Amino acid sequence: MSMQTDKRDFDTRTADGIGDAFMRGAVGSAQDSLKTRRLTAATSLGDWERWRELGQQIRQHTLENLDYYLEQMADNVERRGGHVYFARTKEEASGYIRDVVQSKQATKVVKSKSMVTEEIEMNQVLMKAGCEVIESDLGEYILQEDDWDPPSHIVAPALHKNREQIRDVFASKLSYKGDETPEHLAGFARKVLREKFLEAEIGITGCNFAVANMGAINLVTNEGNGDLTAALPKTHIAVMGMERIVPTLEEMEVLDNLLCRSAVGQKLTSYITVMGPREEGESDGPEEFHLVIVDNGRSEILAGEFWEALQCIRCGACLNVCPVYRHIGGHAYGSIYPGPIGAVITPLLGGYDEYKELPYASSLCGACTDVCPVKIPLHEQLILHRQNIVSQGRTGAIDRAQMKAAGKLLSSPRMFRSTLRLANPMTKFMSKHGRVVRGPAPLSGWIGVRDMPQPVKERDGFRTWYENRTKKEGGRLP
Amino acid sequence: MNPRTFHEGSSTDTEKRESFLNRVAESLKRPRRTEPVRRPDWKHTVHLDTLADRTPEQLVEILKEQCFFIHTQVIESTPALLQSTLDDLIDGYGGGPLIRSGDPRFTEYGLSFSGDFVWSEQAGRQENIRRAEAANIALVFADYTLAESGTVVLLSRPDQGRALHFLPAHYIAVIERKSIVPRSTQAMTDLNRRIESGEDIGSCINMISGPSNSADIEMQLVVGVHGPLRATYVLI
Repeated sequence: MSMQTDKRDFDTRTADGIGDAFMRGAVGSAQDSLKTRRLTAATSLGDWERWRELGQQIRQHTLENLDYYLEQMADNVERRGGHVYFARTKEEASGYIRDVVQSKQATKVVKSKSMVTEEIEMNQVLMKAGCEVIESDLGEYILQEDDWDPPSHIVAPALHKNREQIRDVFASKLSYKGDETPEHLAGFARKVLREKFLEAEIGITGCNFAVANMGAINLVTNEGNGDLTAALPKTHIAVMGMERIVPTLEEMEVLDNLLCRSAVGQKLTSYITVMGPREEGESDGPEEFHLVIVDNGRSEILAGEFWEALQCIRCGACLNVCPVYRHIGGHAYGSIYPGPIGAVITPLLGGYDEYKELPYASSLCGACTDVCPVKIPLHEQLILHRQNIVSQGRTGAIDRAQMKAAGKLLSSPRMFRSTLRLANPMTKFMSKHGRVVRGPAPLSGWIGVRDMPQPVKERDGFRTWYENRTKKEGGRLP
Repeated sequence: MNPRTFHEGSSTDTEKRESFLNRVAESLKRPRRTEPVRRPDWKHTVHLDTLADRTPEQLVEILKEQCFFIHTQVIESTPALLQSTLDDLIDGYGGGPLIRSGDPRFTEYGLSFSGDFVWSEQAGRQENIRRAEAANIALVFADYTLAESGTVVLLSRPDQGRALHFLPAHYIAVIERKSIVPRSTQAMTDLNRRIESGEDIGSCINMISGPSNSADIEMQLVVGVHGPLRATYVLI
């Protein structure tokens, strides 16, 4: 899967989402539950605002010294006998991984959930090279078996599916004979995937944080699949976005606490692991360890006005509070990165040509900004995107004409007044019972989903009423 | 063979790394930073302050309460009763096969289990993994214990592999009271101190908080996914 999950236009994608009643119900209840759990976890910790400021400071310090920490990390990985590959582009990254796999003459790859491997289209590259690639995270595995249905949430990728759909996928693809109880479905997947873990030649994971002074990577998980992926195969390839790094275990600890509480409301998830290449005398763990550090557009982001977006620790808390995400669902964003953070970073990584609508998929209510554990000014960045899109002339011809007309109209009191006067007679034939019921675009878009009162006659308007009343009161303002 | 040599048309590793890091420095609009960077004084100490004032007894209570939320049974025992507590527990989990670490504390406390398999360097990769996969129960000693999150911290060593914690169906960790610290902060600070002083702490730090779980199907919690299905801590 690439970053782009749907090539259809934005309106079609959102219409699909809004029309999917099950998905909307599932997203709504998931949001409610995750929101509450996050709030409870944050409150029970106490001093949450200070924790956020600390998280922000750690992320910003690391970004400001990113070249230093990346070099320290690379030196330490190599000192421990691992390999480091710096990939400027996604092609370089997935090409290197393919070369490693082929140099081992391996065909069986097991991986744990990682957004950046999706971004670099690694699975396609490996499958094209003749490998079997197994996603071992339960949610990702379900999606893979459903012909690589795209994920719809950063943390809970199969959020949009219900248990019956999952049972049907397992039944048709894996001859599953059981019922739709989540325990039974998970137990079945455990059995199938256990085999895959044991026979895999290569394990591929993402990286929550690289720990620079250790040359090790940190994984934060609940299922245990990430650890098996890194423990059993003889070769472990870890892929990280270049910004996902901390100086030491001490900073990692603060960020892991923020991540677990923000993502799922847990104090710590079941498994938090810091790992590197196998050492002398140890029996398991990788004999060969590769770390692939991916730029793929991140250095441009770092140089520009959106650099704070790189503070992101991928907790998904902004998705869980977003009213727009709630209604259109993750797939409508057309990107593996949905929700508010997706609307910020997808256009940065993929360009405005494909993704200029995403910054408008927001009510600018700012709930995302309030909830972000590392204080990324998300809604302000969405406004910044909109400013860029307008100033680059990327809005549609109709939009531009409308804005131009509105600008003229609103800057001339005379025109404004006469428009108000004409509004009622002009909408007469489009209205019924005091409501506008039909009209050309963009009016049709508006009245398709909400009421629009017909403008009142001039004599009933507020200004007329106010002037009359002022006269009646003898020129005094009430 | 080093796979990097396959990479046709790309510059050498060092050049690649240099140009990558130079580009990062350029994005930051300054020259490359190669002198050691000092971490700033962090503006808050919330991580150090949280639960720092609790007594050892209070920490045990916090640990026990948290274990309820992470679906982990806690059994209080004593060094003298430890053998029989563990025997009962192993019976309760349906008996062996049992795999355990080669932690010296098993000997210190005079523990022995008939038919157990001990993870060891001599057994080798394949045999250790095969035995762990076949095991019904894994038995280990915690290196650190985090009260707040109900977490046992274990370091990988020749006698304590990684898969030991994940392949068996049931997981038992023995916790010495003296290993209990308030939260992750103290354990990570101590480990970082050991790393900075040049100590080799092994290739892997496992922080384990109860059995594996997933909420990937309709957000409903399923306890027991890829890792252990059940977990018990024995407190001595």
